[in-house]
Amino acid sequence: MKQGNMLAMILAGGRGSRLHELTDKVAKPAVYYGGKYRIVDFPLSNCANSGINIVGVLTQYESVLLNSYVAAGSRWGLDSADAGVFVLTPREKADSGLDVYRGTADAISQNIDFIDQYNPEYLLILSGDHIYKMNYDKMLSAHIEQGANATIAVRPVPIKEASRFGIMNTNEAGDIVEFEEKPAHPKSNLASMGIYIFNWKDLRKLLISDMKDPDSDHDFGKNIIPTMLADNKKLIAYRFEGYWKDVGTIDSLWEANMDLLDKKNELDLSDPTWRIYSEDASSLPAYIGPEATIDRVYLTQGTTVEGYVKNSVLSTLSTVKAGAKVIDTVLMPYAKVEEGAVVTRAIVASGVKIGKGAVVGSADSENIILVSKNVKGVD
Amino acid sequence: MAAKAFGIVTSTPRRVNVYGLQDYRPAGAFTFIGKFRVIDFPVSNFSNSGIKNIQVYLNKHPKALTDHLGTGRNYNLNSKRDRLQLFYCNHHMENEVYNTDVSDYLDNLAHIEELPQEYVIIAPCYMIYKQDFSDLLNEHILSGADITMLYHKVNNAKDHFLNCRVMGVDQDQVVTSLEINRGNRQSQCVFMDTYIMKKSLFIDLVQRTAKYSSTYSLSQMLGVLIKREELEIRGVQHKGFFASVDDLQSYYESNLSMLDPKNQRDLFQDGWWIYTRTTDTNPSRIYESAEVKDSMIANGCHIEGHVEHSIIGRAVTIGKGAVVKNSIILDHAKIGDGVMLDAQIVDKYARITKTKELLNTPDQLGYVHRADNL
Repeated sequence: MKQGNMLAMILAGGRGSRLHELTDKVAKPAVYYGGKYRIVDFPLSNCANSGINIVGVLTQYESVLLNSYVAAGSRWGLDSADAGVFVLTPREKADSGLDVYRGTADAISQNIDFIDQYNPEYLLILSGDHIYKMNYDKMLSAHIEQGANATIAVRPVPIKEASRFGIMNTNEAGDIVEFEEKPAHPKSNLASMGIYIFNWKDLRKLLISDMKDPDSDHDFGKNIIPTMLADNKKLIAYRFEGYWKDVGTIDSLWEANMDLLDKKNELDLSDPTWRIYSEDASSLPAYIGPEATIDRVYLTQGTTVEGYVKNSVLSTLSTVKAGAKVIDTVLMPYAKVEEGAVVTRAIVASGVKIGKGAVVGSADSENIILVSKNVKGVD
Repeated sequence: MAAKAFGIVTSTPRRVNVYGLQDYRPAGAFTFIGKFRVIDFPVSNFSNSGIKNIQVYLNKHPKALTDHLGTGRNYNLNSKRDRLQLFYCNHHMENEVYNTDVSDYLDNLAHIEELPQEYVIIAPCYMIYKQDFSDLLNEHILSGADITMLYHKVNNAKDHFLNCRVMGVDQDQVVTSLEINRGNRQSQCVFMDTYIMKKSLFIDLVQRTAKYSSTYSLSQMLGVLIKREELEIRGVQHKGFFASVDDLQSYYESNLSMLDPKNQRDLFQDGWWIYTRTTDTNPSRIYESAEVKDSMIANGCHIEGHVEHSIIGRAVTIGKGAVVKNSIILDHAKIGDGVMLDAQIVDKYARITKTKELLNTPDQLGYVHRADNL
């Protein structure tokens, strides 16, 4: 650990079952977003841009694709001799059987041996399924300056919605005095983002005793943080003000994609100083045919448009054929809308084909439709 | 099979002269359809053919290509057995006539001799085509010829390919002549500067050429040998898309020809990827005021104006009310609000905001220099 003394662990084991068929075959962090990215590109790129060289990715649910994707650390520039992205799935050890990760804290506990190899001073815990840009190095500076035992990133949410989140109650100095999971009567509007910095030596001790506690859920929010508060440790809240999305549902995934169409969108993926790295397809640039109409579209290389597209995100190698209409829709990679088909307010999953003349979705539907199977054409 | 040969990508030959663009970079580093460099085609052809020992020769402005090619990792040349070598050759500033491929090879002869492969396949840095070199090598070995030369039949040689060589090929595919295209016939077999021979013959020819004339290129020498009927030289016809980027007009036409889906399908085939250095540029944004037709758009663009029959490179901005027609806009250029462009090639980082009109025609192209402010 030459360049930094902080190691990052990304919790990427969740299924994300509210994303329905999108996560049948892949874990939520591997879901496509924004034309060319997968959600896990965001925490990984943030790590790379923050100067963190060693990243462990904890996977569990449907992890084959995710494992092979993140293992190629070169995508994020994390493949030099002193850097690496390591896939950490539950494994059988000499002194214990094969256990699934029982909770967020347990996932770290089961990999203490991995972390010890690098002997970091600080440990950064991240979630693999959030879309945001954040400099973790600045968060570490706050952690060190204030001599904290743990630092938790928080963001202000509307007080009306605060009861849906894990809420941090702080004193005037910004120290956390209380943590409430989904409080009925929230006292503060600072929601935890699931991003923690710990002093590794202290956390290591806590994790070892937590592992032995039969009553524990082995969860950072439910067990580790309350234990630290009870022990009078110094926990501080680190405020984050930028764009942040937990795309837990089809509607929120669609909305996060639509945010990219705004000229002044907060996420700003074009910032050259904070690139989000991903895989670049060896394809042609986007091709717009002579009869095409495109109006407010976010599109990436490899897309082919010969029809009409409005208010939509077109991902790598997606196709809109002549006479087809795509409105208020996200086409995931390799999705294809054939001649004369009409797609409105939908997410068309990767590789799905909408047949000739088919009509999918409607302009006044309450929810966004997920199209995850080929739709037959109408002749 | 493939491992029997190594590949050479030549430096920019003297007769290639692309106005403006070439002041900043060699021909291999020219941007193609807003995303690739011309040299991506020969290097990807080699890599896809399983030929993973590749020598790339550079003379003027080596930086553009050393940056771009790097260690070859983007070209799938990243195992320990693969090797992409970049050779910088002495450029004879005092007298351009000395700058030949032969002088490049003589400078690096030891590095050619040390390679274990029996055959060499030579491909130019300034031509665009898809070719499976392992098929071509098989054909060469089976034919028993000393040299196999690749050619493309064209029907517009009177006013195109004027910087290329054309060859005569008889019914038995024997090459009967090789000379500069003088534009006297429409129908010609254009030599694609691509040829195969044994490494031992190659080294012998390089040394013989140097003795024959210090200003001769290897293809000039081939012309002499063909006349003498000294060697068995066979021609093989290439089918599919082919372009030679050797002047501004051919640069322009080869780019815009990719707006034809037939050419796209021909040059970019599944499983035969054209690799390039990736930049992790975000997708492009087309705003509500924009109108885009019959064009190619690379990533990272902001388009608010009208774009028609054009190629737009990476991270280009086209302002409101701007009209870009029949043009090629290279990376990071900015076209301001209300600016009208027709038949322009706008080089990288140029900004056109104060000049409101640059209107040329496709046979009388306009060119805007790199990073100029207009």
